[in-house]
Amino acid sequence: MSTSKMAAGCERVDSSHSMDKSITLPPDEIFRNLENAKRFAIDIGGSLTKLAYYSTVQHKVAKVRSFDHTAKETEGDPLYEISMQEEVSARLHFIKFENAYIETCLDFIKDHLVNTDTKVIKATGGGAHKFKDLIEKKLKLRVDKEDEMTCLIKGCNFVLRNITHEAFVYAKHADSEFRFQNTHPDIFPYLLINIGSGVSIFKVESEDTFERVGGSSIGGGTFWGLGALLTKTKKFDELLQLASKGQHTNVDMLVKDIYGGSYGSLGLTGDLIASSFGKSATPDKEFSKEDMAKSLLHMISNDIGQLACLYARLHNLTRVYFGGFFIRGHPVTMHTITYSINFFTKGEVQALFLRHEGYLGTIGAFLKGAEEDNPNQYSWGENYAGSSGLMSTSPDLNPMQRARSGTFDMLEMDRLERQLVNLPLLQDPSSYIPDTVDLSEDALAREYWLYCFEEALDGVVKRAVASQPDLPEAAERAEKFRHKYQHKLQTLRHQPFAYGSLTVRSLLDTREHCLNEFNFPDPYSKIKQGENDMALKYFQKAVKSLGELSWEQRQFALVRGLLAGNVFDWGAKAVSDVLESDPEFGFEHAKLQLEERPWLVDAYDQWLERLKGPPHKCALFFVDNSGIDIILGVFPFVRELLCRGTEVVLASNSSPALNDVTNSELQILTERIAAMDLVIQSAVKEDRLTLVQSGSSSPCLDLSRLDKVLAGVVRERHVDLVIIEGMGRAIHTNYYAILSCESLKMAVIKNSWLADRLGGKLFSVVFKYEVPPGHKTTTLDHVPVTPS
Amino acid sequence: MAKIVDSSHSMDKSITLPPDEIFRNLENAKRFAIDIGGSLTKLAYYSTVQHKVAKVRSFDHTAKETEGDPLYEISMQEEVSARLHFIKFENAYIETCLDFIKDHLVNTDTKVIKATGGGAHKFKDLIEKKLKLRVDKEDEMTCLIKGCNFVLRNITHEAFVYAKHADSEFRFQNTHPDIFPYLLINIGSGVSIFKVESEDTFERVGGSSIGGGTFWGLGALLTKTKKFDELLQLASKGQHTNVDMLVKDIYGGSYGSLGLTGDLIASSFGKSATPDKEFSKEDMAKSLLHMISNDIGQLACLYARLHNLTRVYFGGFFIRGHPVTMHTITYSINFFTKGEVQALFLRHEGYLGTIGAFLKGAEEDNPNQYSWGENYAGSSGLMSTSPDLNPMQRARSGTFDMLEMDRLERQLVNLPLLQDPSSYIPDTVDLSEDALAREYWLYCFEEALDGVVKRAVASQPDLPEAAERAEKFRHKYQHKLQTLRHQPL
Repeated sequence: MSTSKMAAGCERVDSSHSMDKSITLPPDEIFRNLENAKRFAIDIGGSLTKLAYYSTVQHKVAKVRSFDHTAKETEGDPLYEISMQEEVSARLHFIKFENAYIETCLDFIKDHLVNTDTKVIKATGGGAHKFKDLIEKKLKLRVDKEDEMTCLIKGCNFVLRNITHEAFVYAKHADSEFRFQNTHPDIFPYLLINIGSGVSIFKVESEDTFERVGGSSIGGGTFWGLGALLTKTKKFDELLQLASKGQHTNVDMLVKDIYGGSYGSLGLTGDLIASSFGKSATPDKEFSKEDMAKSLLHMISNDIGQLACLYARLHNLTRVYFGGFFIRGHPVTMHTITYSINFFTKGEVQALFLRHEGYLGTIGAFLKGAEEDNPNQYSWGENYAGSSGLMSTSPDLNPMQRARSGTFDMLEMDRLERQLVNLPLLQDPSSYIPDTVDLSEDALAREYWLYCFEEALDGVVKRAVASQPDLPEAAERAEKFRHKYQHKLQTLRHQPFAYGSLTVRSLLDTREHCLNEFNFPDPYSKIKQGENDMALKYFQKAVKSLGELSWEQRQFALVRGLLAGNVFDWGAKAVSDVLESDPEFGFEHAKLQLEERPWLVDAYDQWLERLKGPPHKCALFFVDNSGIDIILGVFPFVRELLCRGTEVVLASNSSPALNDVTNSELQILTERIAAMDLVIQSAVKEDRLTLVQSGSSSPCLDLSRLDKVLAGVVRERHVDLVIIEGMGRAIHTNYYAILSCESLKMAVIKNSWLADRLGGKLFSVVFKYEVPPGHKTTTLDHVPVTPS
Repeated sequence: MAKIVDSSHSMDKSITLPPDEIFRNLENAKRFAIDIGGSLTKLAYYSTVQHKVAKVRSFDHTAKETEGDPLYEISMQEEVSARLHFIKFENAYIETCLDFIKDHLVNTDTKVIKATGGGAHKFKDLIEKKLKLRVDKEDEMTCLIKGCNFVLRNITHEAFVYAKHADSEFRFQNTHPDIFPYLLINIGSGVSIFKVESEDTFERVGGSSIGGGTFWGLGALLTKTKKFDELLQLASKGQHTNVDMLVKDIYGGSYGSLGLTGDLIASSFGKSATPDKEFSKEDMAKSLLHMISNDIGQLACLYARLHNLTRVYFGGFFIRGHPVTMHTITYSINFFTKGEVQALFLRHEGYLGTIGAFLKGAEEDNPNQYSWGENYAGSSGLMSTSPDLNPMQRARSGTFDMLEMDRLERQLVNLPLLQDPSSYIPDTVDLSEDALAREYWLYCFEEALDGVVKRAVASQPDLPEAAERAEKFRHKYQHKLQTLRHQPL
């Protein structure tokens, strides 16, 4: 299906042109949004060209707007108005292709460039001067060269800061080949080892402070050159393939070849290479190409690893990133480098690789050209819909995707409207991992969830179409979405590491990115609207009946109500089935579904004890679904907190995800509830109830990427209680998150497989109340007591 | 001369040994040690040497002195002194040598031979069978370092700096009163790097698999030349820039902002992946030599910096007597340390293992408590077996190289009043750096030789063979002078 689509693309077969111009580009996929492109940058290496441009993307966003309150409300009128608006957002495009395609690509760009106020293209890389004239002639842009190393390091800083799971540790024999590293809040200092033809070693201490501390002439060019001489194989990739099949012990002299075993007193094991190629001076013996290539690979990788380790020790650095064409997407070189680093540092230093290592130069060149737009002041996020993922062009892996997009690899990054930072209450930001299960390490779980998302796809498509009844092409777009997401799922099945650690969150986020890509910004908008409308009608009744209970009964009822509300979640398959078949399924019914105490995870007694103590200063509440959940579950609970004298900050998504309540919806809901309820009204008026955006548009929650404003509010208000609600935020993510203040994590497990895994059953309840160790909760002093 | 030509023996036994020169004083030899490397065997033994000393004795003072009576009495006495013998020869000669030793060994209370080196276990049975001595293996690295300490302490001008293009290729270092700490880089098949802090404190701090074996092995694959020496010869004739990618090949010139000059090698063999291009053996060998030497130099420099050491000695078969490897290593060290660290080489580097093994076996004699001096008469001198140099001497003694050291009767130390013992140089003019002066003084000593011979004979009027011995002396000294003319080192 995909190949026919490719052919349907702009086919530029022109016999008067040179050979490489006959290559068919799939333009709708590889040079997207060219019309508004500006700020071009190009990095031309020995064999690959990397192009970068900045573009604006017009896409639909769903907006909600309250109806005029002065007008009298009619029964049956919707609560608020939903509209689709066009919005323009900034996106960075990076495309990597073989140098052979460069002329075709330049022609294509020229033909599609509409915007003409771009005058300059930033260029870097060894090939930049070779293609300078061609670029200037074709694009009519002035080529402006930028220093290669500066670009490399600028690019490295950018990806380390902005791309989740950019860096990874490679472990060939582990359950999971790729162990992605958490984005570290402070990326400096680090050592960057660029293995191109030779090796350059940079110490990077800040955005503008870096130094080439060393280098070596034994690099990728040595592997290539010596390998070509030894094996008569002239292609780098083929040499690597040879190496991966060889036995270095036939060529190398091992310690045991000299000493008959290990050299114990020096701590040298018998299998250690004593002398690379030490056996190959043997007269009249032939050595296989494979064995020689393997020995050469070991020799070079070990040498680089050793140098890296020595420079790291000399400069007291433990973070060492490797890049350059020797590394790029080659498991065999990553393996040997990792092995070498482990050997030489005894595990003290880890070899780190980068998912987008090949793009560093062009990203850096782009940033140099875009300094007036100040891209570093924004946060950027990888767009999973537009990015190829790790190793998309690796010949070993993923033949399907390779066949589809040829040798074009893409990275797209969206400028996020808001700057994202850590939640200040994370106990240890550098060790925080949002996701509970890493699906790339758990084959069974991966299989289940990939299946789950595939199964749910029909429903999502149906709902997407239904959400735009007045747009006739919606069905066609929805099919495109289906195709894209299905393809992503297939890619992830083959390469679970394509976008970092595969998690339920990344699967959900990828789906959101794909929906947005095809202009389905909020398929649940109408459903949410209806649910909100319905739930509001019950609000006063619910509050009244709670008021009739004793204090202790009420505390329990509030928690149960919150949990019951959380059962209403269109995102979970079990629930959407029930809701679609039985629209009468109500709040009370949900309560009956709930597991009786003791719950699967049950800290209710401790929570109740805590409530008997002094009130919290301020609670930060990460809310989940719209409708019954937010209105009948969360608001009564919040109301009780307010009555106790606790200020409340409600954090909701900045943009839609499933049926999660968004910040703009929540503003309308809060107004409406305030109109009905004096407690809420005065709290809003007195600023004791505040609404903030989380900065997220995911059904899950990454506490290391939150809106900067939220972080500010948390600090100002001295938040001492964090409440996280729902399966996506409290179980798929943050289940093990450790906060420096009290926290409540509440969810109903609406997935039988997950329930099984956790030892419970469908609708089991998780109620986790955690107090950081050494934390005093009975004191009236709200300053957190830190353990001595 | 005992010619050991025995047709019933294997080929290599037909080699003629010049026994009066290479296994001297075997009759009283004891404490044998042997270090068998990949291609060379090094043998050590301790022996006593009987020789004449001139004594003077005052006449009895109570007796009345007569006018014309000499002031004191002169007599010749036999004295026995200790001497260490070290002989280095190719492994091919080992059986012949063992047979020779066995035939000439008189002293029989020696039961053990200390052995070290990678080849020790390979030749163990042969040695035990031939010499009827038990082979007692000693740790190779411990021997190496013990030997190194010994030569640094006891041999004047043991260490030197190599400078190919300077007036004098070899700049000998003064014996430093305190030899520790230092870094020893042993480049055999692979590379081992030792930090030596005292006689008994040393540690292998690092190593590398890219060493002499890599040069040999990769060189053999690339050039089809299987001999190490021939590979070095190829390398010395090659142009590495034909094979290596230089900074200027990539950037058109220097990469100024990174401080990289245009001629710097950016990528070793970086040009050799070019399709359909042939590369000469010489150029490939040169590039390989640069690659390996630079790498070792860089590692040496990094380990020296990590351990805060400035004295770095290089040894092992990769270095041993090869100007071309000393040159590239020196160049690399200078490049990486910007002159802060000097690459030091050792005149007797090839003997370190056997000296160390010998010392291990001789610990009861406590050789370290004595001072020892190199006997110039019995020692071959630097590069006696180098194929490039000194064809005369090579033809004469085959591939046998010798070192003899005399035990000095008294332990020698610095004059405590020397301002700076480490920079003190006793000699006023270094003739190796001054060709004119060298020529003059060599001529001078040659001119004086006749007179010296005459005087020597006259000093022993009552010994009829004195004339014959004096002629042997003339011959030996004349030969040494000729050697020094060719190798002023």
